[in-house]
Amino acid sequence: MSAARQLSLEVNGKRHNLQLDIRTTLLDALREHADLPGTKKGCDQGQCGACTVHVDGERVLSCLTLAAQVEGRQVTTIEGLQTADGVMHAVQTAFIEHDAFQCGYCTPGQIMSAIACIREGHAGTDDDIREYMSGNICRCGAYPHIVAAVRDAASRLKTERAL
Amino acid sequence: MTQNNAFELNRRTVMKLGVGAAAAATAGVNLSSEKALANNPAKSQSPALGARLSRAEGPLKVSGQARYAIEQKLENMAYGVTVQSTRPAGRIVSIDTSAAKALPGVVDVYTPQNALKLNKPTVYSKGGGATEEFTPLQDDVIRFNGMHIALVVAETFEQAMEAASLLKVEYEAGDAIVDFNDPKAKSQPIDAMAAAWGDAATALANAEVKVDVTYTTSREYNVPMEPHACIASWDNGKMTVWEPSQWVGGARRVVSDWLGIDIEDVRVISPYVGGGFGSKIGAHPHVGLACAASRKLGRPVKVSLTRPQTFTGLGGRPATRQNLSIGATKEGKIVSIVHESWNETAIDELHVEACNNVTKIMYATPNLSSRLNVVPVHTVQPGWKRAPGENPSAYALECAIDELAYALEMDPITLRLANWADIDPSSKLPWTTRQLREAYAAGADAIGWWKRNPKPRSMREGRELIGFGMASGAYPMLRTASEAKIVFHVSGQIEVLSGGTDIGTGTYTILAQTAADVLGVPAETVAVRLGDTILPRSALAGGSQQANNLTGAVDRAAKNARAALLSLAATDPKSPLAASKVTELTLENGRVRPTRRPSGGISIADLLKAVGRNTLEVEGNTFAPGASEEMKNGADRSFAQMKASLEGGVSAHSWCAQFVEVRVDEDFGTIRVKRMVAAFDSGRIFNPKLAESQWIGGMIMGLGQTLLEEGHVDQRDGRTVNANFADYAVPVNADVPGVQVISVGIPDFQASALGGKGVGEIGVVGVAPAIGNAVFHATGKRVRSLPITLEKLA
Repeated sequence: MSAARQLSLEVNGKRHNLQLDIRTTLLDALREHADLPGTKKGCDQGQCGACTVHVDGERVLSCLTLAAQVEGRQVTTIEGLQTADGVMHAVQTAFIEHDAFQCGYCTPGQIMSAIACIREGHAGTDDDIREYMSGNICRCGAYPHIVAAVRDAASRLKTERAL
Repeated sequence: MTQNNAFELNRRTVMKLGVGAAAAATAGVNLSSEKALANNPAKSQSPALGARLSRAEGPLKVSGQARYAIEQKLENMAYGVTVQSTRPAGRIVSIDTSAAKALPGVVDVYTPQNALKLNKPTVYSKGGGATEEFTPLQDDVIRFNGMHIALVVAETFEQAMEAASLLKVEYEAGDAIVDFNDPKAKSQPIDAMAAAWGDAATALANAEVKVDVTYTTSREYNVPMEPHACIASWDNGKMTVWEPSQWVGGARRVVSDWLGIDIEDVRVISPYVGGGFGSKIGAHPHVGLACAASRKLGRPVKVSLTRPQTFTGLGGRPATRQNLSIGATKEGKIVSIVHESWNETAIDELHVEACNNVTKIMYATPNLSSRLNVVPVHTVQPGWKRAPGENPSAYALECAIDELAYALEMDPITLRLANWADIDPSSKLPWTTRQLREAYAAGADAIGWWKRNPKPRSMREGRELIGFGMASGAYPMLRTASEAKIVFHVSGQIEVLSGGTDIGTGTYTILAQTAADVLGVPAETVAVRLGDTILPRSALAGGSQQANNLTGAVDRAAKNARAALLSLAATDPKSPLAASKVTELTLENGRVRPTRRPSGGISIADLLKAVGRNTLEVEGNTFAPGASEEMKNGADRSFAQMKASLEGGVSAHSWCAQFVEVRVDEDFGTIRVKRMVAAFDSGRIFNPKLAESQWIGGMIMGLGQTLLEEGHVDQRDGRTVNANFADYAVPVNADVPGVQVISVGIPDFQASALGGKGVGEIGVVGVAPAIGNAVFHATGKRVRSLPITLEKLA
């Protein structure tokens, strides 16, 4: 038996007050209740990475996280990466330039993982990128282009930091 | 990849233009955002077709703004969850739904005891759009483990999931055949798909050198990242379905069959598709349940299969077995090919994996015989997985050719060239184009084929055995006539409309490129709307045909549109160019002008304004003149109008040559693919950047098929044991090496209107044999079953 509960989630800097079944995952809260379907459901059991979001800056699988667990924490989704005036994150532009996706369904998760991968310092070599991006399945097989995009974005971000 | 950055748009342009164009494509509204752009049309970068433009909908996809089918927000939507059988055969005695119905939020539970009425849909082979006849809940028969036996509908997803777990099902056991190697299984020949010429048996018996082998492939699953799911919304006698679909026209037909309503009262919408690879061509049975529930309840119902449910809610590639014998002279001339194949199919339905599609056309042989058989077992009806038929066909053939090369002590490429088919040996018709020699040469050069030591187990680096392997393949040209529409808006926006879908293949992009060239505007200023049955009729995005079908249709529509614009400019009294003759006008860079006055003229938007029109809509199609509405509907909703590879007295195919380098750990038998190189003849390439992605994706899917993917079935009860992404392993990034693809095609105007051939499927053909042959080269051990796992190397 479950009870509905009022939860207040902060997603992409915006507060969402949602009446949710306490069993609701963060993924379903985003997709079905907060009208933020950019985060994708690929398996709903923590095996594919499509639902990757950031909670307090760290990547988590939103399908294995209850919405109630992230109250009081900062959630960032794919919809929250662009600046207020619409400028995309370097990883997003790199994904477009390198054609690092086809159907686009795993892409939000790939991008959220890639940002964390770069931030965590695991984008130094192609082999590192392959290893640390292996939690995100892409059935279209865009992997070589994903590696190229992450490598390129990492180098751009490094240059930007140095400036 | 072969890179040519000359056509690469700079990042800023992509961001600025791509977003606007794709936004219009999605919503079909808010087109005014393009106003500023259209009033000052940029010079077109001609020709757009063939340029390496980035994906038009890319900005939407990387920002989470592309709304996939079930991401529509509808009022009062209920959630449906299906329950699947846990037995492979027998019947349902009863289903106790009381505990489920007692839960708060549960709207209703449907079982065979209180079934939602669904008619049996007409399958494609009988002129319909369905890929399986199985119609859930209509009787108490269990046909396979994992078939839908109930639908639970609740106010929330969580409530529906819990309720679904509470059904108590009582079964009556039945005898099941869960494996196509079961001696009780009875195979059935498919005579219509057999092939024979000469006297293959005698020629084989008398051949100087023979290989006689059996190759098998496992049950495989398409597993696109977006699970199969839909929203069905019944409203006032009409049904709207948001369904991830490779073929909205087919889905529309199936929905009308299921519900017994006029097809005109069904609309299917599929704006983006999260991968399909053949598995989203047909609307599968859960869609029928969603539709029937929505009609019954009078509210929208969303039904999503869980990831495990997708393994039996629809079928993947069936397991196959092929016996193949090749006879040759000592000099390496093939004298006979004898082939027989078997594939599993559903216990009461027919799916044929055409395992001789490549076998019968690859090499010149004076004698051939090939027979296909199906073996009914208690499984979900198998389906199409990328290059159905061609993929396993090329696997057995190209491994056997490698075996023959070693038996003859010949180089495998030399052997292939020695048996070059100047014409299609099966139909005796001439090829349209066959750049396969060029593919062999380019691939061999890129991987360093001639530098290897061909002796098995002769190359190593430390504990790693090194192997090189190659294989080739073909994919037939399928074609269906289609329609398209161009709409000029007074805002300056130009739209291309088609019911075809973009499943990640680049349809949004290449159709804009096609229209742009004809209309003389930049591709980025053309918005493309797709994936909706209210749009012009299109065949499926399957069989590697859609790009060619739709570029042809859009080219016609755009040419008609150009003529209509010039005519409007010359004949409408309010047009500033009304004094001109049509023949004296030109459309260039988005402006209609007198041909002799390069600097003058009027923009399309200003012309529409001047003549007082909001829009100008112009259609075009590739149907034969005088084609009836029935034929056009047939092209859109069935396979009735589809033309196969031999249309027009020529034999049209895409071709590939695949090369791989593998490393095999000598101690553990683990296989890693080190490099993959492939050369493709897909004719004219409409957008190399996107075509390369498809080829690479196909190769990686082939890598998974060869080394990882195998559906395991519990022999006791037919349960798919590994129905999830952890246990049914598909390639992840760390599995994938550097991949190089090379285009060797030339425009082929016998194959298609604009000279393209198929791209999407040829990439997965020939990968498995190339890897298998490389593993043999590395280890000296020939593994004749997929996947090639380490225990088979032991």
